Amino acid sequence: MNKDPLADTGEPRGYDLEVRHLKDRAVRMGALALAMVHDGWRAYDEGDLGAAQKVLDRAGPLDRFDEDMEHATIAFLVLRQPAAVDLRTAAGLLKITTHLDRVGRLGFDMARITSSTPSKELAELRGLLQQMDDTVESMVQQSLEALDHDNVELARQLFRRDDAVDRMHRQANRLIIANLEKDPALARRLAGDLLVARHFERIADNACKIGEKTIYALTGQRRSEYLPRHVTRPYVQESPDTSTGPARG
Amino acid sequence: MEGVNSVLGESPTKMDVQNLSAYYGQSRAIQEINLAFPEKKVTAIIGPSGCGKSTLIRCLNRMHETGYRARVEGSVLLDGEDLYELDATLVRRRVGMVFQKPNPFATMSIYNNVSAALRFNGRPSREECDAVVLRSLRQAALWDEVKDRIDEPATSLSGGQQQRLCIARALAANPEVILMDEPCSALDPIATAKIEELIGQLKNDYTVIIVTHNMQQAARVADFTSFLYLGKLVEFGPTEQLFERPKEHLTEAYITGRFG
Repeated sequence: MNKDPLADTGEPRGYDLEVRHLKDRAVRMGALALAMVHDGWRAYDEGDLGAAQKVLDRAGPLDRFDEDMEHATIAFLVLRQPAAVDLRTAAGLLKITTHLDRVGRLGFDMARITSSTPSKELAELRGLLQQMDDTVESMVQQSLEALDHDNVELARQLFRRDDAVDRMHRQANRLIIANLEKDPALARRLAGDLLVARHFERIADNACKIGEKTIYALTGQRRSEYLPRHVTRPYVQESPDTSTGPARG
Repeated sequence: MEGVNSVLGESPTKMDVQNLSAYYGQSRAIQEINLAFPEKKVTAIIGPSGCGKSTLIRCLNRMHETGYRARVEGSVLLDGEDLYELDATLVRRRVGMVFQKPNPFATMSIYNNVSAALRFNGRPSREECDAVVLRSLRQAALWDEVKDRIDEPATSLSGGQQQRLCIARALAANPEVILMDEPCSALDPIATAKIEELIGQLKNDYTVIIVTHNMQQAARVADFTSFLYLGKLVEFGPTEQLFERPKEHLTEAYITGRFG
């Protein structure tokens, strides 16, 4: 009987190993970006200028990862001329690299605004920002696991978690404004907190984008095919308790 | 597989293949293929060696039946008329063909190669021949390269020029459909690029159907692509969709090179 030439032998090809290698590099870049967020927030929160400098010094390695990923992915596109899942993976990785670079940059930005006089007041706000940090770090980790293990379900769960981060962001904004009104002397510190809350919200968005590109690579589905874009309204039109938008994911 | 008509959308159909099977003796090379070729578009046929690509294309101008013990079942409609109920010579005039290897008439000049179709079909005047030769060579993007050597032997041309001469010769018969069976497989990348550019221009006036082993070529030149495997049509769709996110597992396995 003739052997079916398209039958899957289960053996990895050189081609598959190259795709695996590209994904591994992206995951390593993600680990660096994640560490920059973790340490950037810690430095800001504790007012540790030494720790902040260490985060700032990682900008160079992050840039090199970014360039290296771009070169390797373009080389793969040129030399292998991939199609279907391989094409989508390469195209997705080009975008994922950009999102990982942004995640690392947001950690860098938190380190950049670190002041040597941390505020130990405002316990509720501190607690909320810590909760945002825990959530977004876990989301970035989850997005990397989805990419690493080809897990569409894990990627899909990110969208629902992003809604929770958006809610925390709005709550942080309200607390910051209330505290500013109460004690304008805290303005410098609260301006920093406002930026940090915004950075966390952006990190969560980037984790979702990584999930989105992973889903595209694995299934060919684009976001608009599985997730209706929700209506965004100006903050002033949102009630504090119902400003979550429709549930997603 | 998705219905062919839903894939074509608004594009009118020029050729409609219905339940087509082709045999060599008892052996069935293609099996009950249903496929519509849109008018003034380029459709590529891809698939591994022996999948029936060339057999299918040869059924589209009734060349298959000229082979030993070859026969066809089903029908091929050209503008609604069944080719197999028309005169075969007339069919081949309406559906021209360009082959893998350039095959100009070796003993004839460039001019005579192009005007051959006219002269085989009657006694045209010199003026008529001149007009057709000029039009065909221009359409084949060869005129500027040969206008000063039109009476030289066709074999004096390079491989790429000879292939464009064969395209000009096919165009001289004023066909409605042009079939190309791996037209660039014997050409270098520069000559290939010229032929691909030419295919893009030809679709303004003709329906082009191209068989190719080169998937990148299919991606570059074709509006629609069909994938054949073991004599069956596996998938047909807009080229971009077929190469970016094919619907069928077999197509995915073939275009990503996941062979056993």
